[in-house]
Amino acid sequence: MGLEDDLERYREVGEERRQDLAEFIQYGDLGQSRPDEVKIPIKIVDLPEFAYDQRDMGGVGQGEGAEEGQPVGEPQPQPGDGDEDGEPGEEGGEHEYYEMDPEEFAQELDEELGLDLEPKGKQVVEEKEGDFTDMTRTGPSSTLDFEQLFKKGLKRKLAMDFDRDFVREALKVDGMGPASVFEWAREEHIPVSKAWLEDEYGELSSEEKTAWASMDEMEDNVERTSTADRIRREGIDSIPYRREDERYRYPEIIEEREKNVVVVNIRDVSGSMREKKRELVERTFTPLDWYLTGKYDNAEFVYIAHDAEAWEVDRDEFFGIRSGGGTRISSAYELAAAVLEEEYPWSDWNRYVFAAGDSENSSNDTEEQVIPLMEQIPANLHAYVETQPSGNAINATHAEEVERHFRESGDVAVAYVSKPADVVDAIYTILSTEEQHD
Amino acid sequence: MTDRYEAKKIAEELEEPVDEASNLAHKLGLSPYPVNYWIVDYDEMNELIAYGGFQQRYPHWRWGMQYDQQQKQSQFLGGKAFEIVNNDNPSHAFLQESNTMADQKAVITHVEAHADFFANNEWFGMFADNPDAAAMLARHADAIREYMLDPDIDRAAVEKWIDHVLCLEDNIDQHEVFGPVETEHRDELVDADEDAEDLSERLDELDLSEEVKGQVFDEEWLEAQRSEGEVTFPAEPEKDVLGFLRKHGMQYDEDAGKAVGMTDWQREILEILRREAYYFAPQKMSKVMNEGWAAYWESVMMTKEAFAGTDEFISYADHMAQVLGSPGLNPYKLGLQLWQYVENTTNRREVVERILRVDGITWRNVHDRVDFETVQDLIAPDSAITSITPDSLDELDAEDPRIDAEGLESARAGEFDVSTYPWKVLTYEGLAERHYSLVEPQNRGFVSRVSQAELERVSRYMFDDSRYETVEEALADIDYTRGWDRMREIRESHNDVTFLDEFLTQEFVDDNDYFTYEFTQSTGDYRVTSTDYEDVKKKLMLRFTNFGKPTVVVADGNYNNRNELLLAHKYNGVMLDIEQAKDTLKRVFHLWGRPVNLKTIVKELDEHDIEVAKRRDREPEPEERGKLIRYDGEEVEVRDLDWEDVEDIAATEVDYDTKPDEWLA
Repeated sequence: MGLEDDLERYREVGEERRQDLAEFIQYGDLGQSRPDEVKIPIKIVDLPEFAYDQRDMGGVGQGEGAEEGQPVGEPQPQPGDGDEDGEPGEEGGEHEYYEMDPEEFAQELDEELGLDLEPKGKQVVEEKEGDFTDMTRTGPSSTLDFEQLFKKGLKRKLAMDFDRDFVREALKVDGMGPASVFEWAREEHIPVSKAWLEDEYGELSSEEKTAWASMDEMEDNVERTSTADRIRREGIDSIPYRREDERYRYPEIIEEREKNVVVVNIRDVSGSMREKKRELVERTFTPLDWYLTGKYDNAEFVYIAHDAEAWEVDRDEFFGIRSGGGTRISSAYELAAAVLEEEYPWSDWNRYVFAAGDSENSSNDTEEQVIPLMEQIPANLHAYVETQPSGNAINATHAEEVERHFRESGDVAVAYVSKPADVVDAIYTILSTEEQHD
Repeated sequence: MTDRYEAKKIAEELEEPVDEASNLAHKLGLSPYPVNYWIVDYDEMNELIAYGGFQQRYPHWRWGMQYDQQQKQSQFLGGKAFEIVNNDNPSHAFLQESNTMADQKAVITHVEAHADFFANNEWFGMFADNPDAAAMLARHADAIREYMLDPDIDRAAVEKWIDHVLCLEDNIDQHEVFGPVETEHRDELVDADEDAEDLSERLDELDLSEEVKGQVFDEEWLEAQRSEGEVTFPAEPEKDVLGFLRKHGMQYDEDAGKAVGMTDWQREILEILRREAYYFAPQKMSKVMNEGWAAYWESVMMTKEAFAGTDEFISYADHMAQVLGSPGLNPYKLGLQLWQYVENTTNRREVVERILRVDGITWRNVHDRVDFETVQDLIAPDSAITSITPDSLDELDAEDPRIDAEGLESARAGEFDVSTYPWKVLTYEGLAERHYSLVEPQNRGFVSRVSQAELERVSRYMFDDSRYETVEEALADIDYTRGWDRMREIRESHNDVTFLDEFLTQEFVDDNDYFTYEFTQSTGDYRVTSTDYEDVKKKLMLRFTNFGKPTVVVADGNYNNRNELLLAHKYNGVMLDIEQAKDTLKRVFHLWGRPVNLKTIVKELDEHDIEVAKRRDREPEPEERGKLIRYDGEEVEVRDLDWEDVEDIAATEVDYDTKPDEWLA
């Protein structure tokens, strides 16, 4: 036992306390997640206690120029709390997030809903040589990194070099021999070998061996030059290249994965799409995005907003836009067709086209425009999600018309969402449609 | 094991700062417990933090959770310096080996001040004068670990039991001296409940046939035995819920489907966790004060006494900015600011009292007669004290009460370098003058801002009011130590609640930009409601009284004469988190063994009122209603109570709502 054990127990406990995936999709806070990372809340302080109602409690903040009525952000967790002096678990009721990557998300959703969608074909995994930026210790001589070898050699040279003349003079001091000079050189941090000293000493005549009376006398009369000065003056005759310093450039291997998917998300942003409906669309589309991201190696997204006209937007804006105009759903499909044709050819890309709205459309647009367009745009799956929080409006017939027309077809799904509890069913309907078709 | 070598090297480097920090702390008037310092590495530090500052704790997943968070947090903050010090005599403090020298010094000075607080604050004496905490917690860890390893005890059951008890760890009577609930002398504590339990056990042992039992000794009969002679207890509402459960609680036996007595291990774990709750309570009750106190003296030592070398100073300043600059209400910062405010106001009072004793100056004419620019010059400390250099040593007078004669002598003898430790030649009086708060740049103008009301208040108790001829003469007599003296008095007797209550003023709230906020129904978010100090104080009180938790007491241990437990929430106008309360009640059930009830008051608003509020931009008035939440082991039941049933727990005087009146519908 010990902290390791405690940590493991915590992980087990944390896993148990994670919000159920279906519940998370329907009611959880999706906003904390990003397309490449799904964050599912788990309560940090999972032990309950008698506590005040957070909202009823209010609080104290600090900041210049606060005035009555100004909004303040959500009360923030207070750093400095509970980080010392033993105050376990005082973090308050905030959430910790269980982080999943989309792959794990897809896998769990498969398990939870009993789905088994296999990403199809169009996968070309190719190896290509990239820039010569990696390094290896062996290779053809043409790829040898000479600059690097030279630098290493030079460093080595500087480390090994010493003032030969000066050391030779030391040998000439009366009473100094190779052994005592070696001792002295070590103290002076001069990298001289004993063998060199012995060779040099052997070459001195007996007079030379007593040329200086003492080390001090020698040091006073002989000028010492630093390695850097000497190199600057004399140049370098040789650089000690070593095999171990050799490095060869090596091309980076780039894998081009082409198990691609493009998801087109279309949303009706016209005046009739109120807040509740927008939220339902977000709750349905976002998990679909995560799921497909998790299933494919490379996922791209196209977001199209439309009223009577259609335009492409960024994901950040997509769920928030509101416009006043009327509704013509075919405008979005026209734009989708153009974008797909241009950037995501059917031969290279898996395609999913998901549209959502309240089923209201301008007269005859569904029959005459949208349905033919859906037939013309090749895709793994087309889907329409009708979001009507308060049941059907009389003229909201788009979903029914589409459903009726494509009843026999296996690549068009229609789902109805009137409250958050319907979201998981809708997702199942959509994703299982392709499965059956497969 | 290069680490050990590394640690030893660091320890050697730190020896001098450690000794000198302690010397300086004593010079500044502090009297800390002796502190033992330990050098630990990054992982060990994270472990210590997870364990609440100690090396050994009982096995529990909660430490794992804290460790996990700690790691994530320090990754995010880039492994910043932390300080850990235990309330113990001697105190133990831990230094992380990878910290910079500046950080180490900051930690050491900070720790000295904490050790002073532990040693001198009366609330810390409530648990024990010499807690010997590390040994106690290690004993607890051993005991619980043994139970977990005992093959006769289900480990999961032990863990669950700990969870149940921890849910109530704040439900103790932290204002009372800790007293253990004894296990040995069972007879003294035995109550009717346990008798009855024994009885049913004894009946089981008799091995009577079901028929006989059913006819003669049926539940009704047992029930009668239990309730016979019993009255409502406790006589007074009991705040120490854990203690009450320890005495009268039972466990619920799932198999038998009824309450049976707690086993020895259950009883002991309950007592262990209760003792730990009492041990940690003073720290929770004085967080603002204690952290502020440590930050205050740390900055005196590090910045004003240049304990950080000039090269270390930048990194120190950076660290401080990070600690104090974090967003939201920061207890460190609140504490530091409040201590500084106490220092400034006390010093200002001294100045004002002197001025008011000048002949001809009264509280009415101070602002006309006195030139505060001149005052500022007059109260400036003696330059002989503020700039001490090796050259100025000769001019210092050993007889001067501000001069430490011994220190001066050894400085002159060259025993230490006076440019590194100038404070060694000064006494407490000398240091107080040297660091006089009112002349610091950020406090210039503080004296001149003294309000007419304060002047009047001060003069009301002054008799000897024409002692001085001139302002010069009056200010020459200033007692520079008054601020620090007062601060030490306060740190002895106060806790966060009393500290905030007594010293938070409008001037403080204005100077430091505090405000209150509330959730408003009309906008669906939090809005600033007030910058009035009474409001700010109320909200802070709410956060710091009773650990910031609602007060829940045992009202009846024999509720409805059926041995049910009745807890009462003493409603102060802020309602409970009802969902959490239900979950907590489910835990309490396991410690009582029989149905449990909680009486509370909630505020209700219906959807319609909220709609109307949104449209009219007016806050709706919620309706207060009594509720009884009951859990019988199977389901939670909530029912309305008549108002007369909850009158005893209803809010009286204090209204914690700070919404302006004109916002209300």
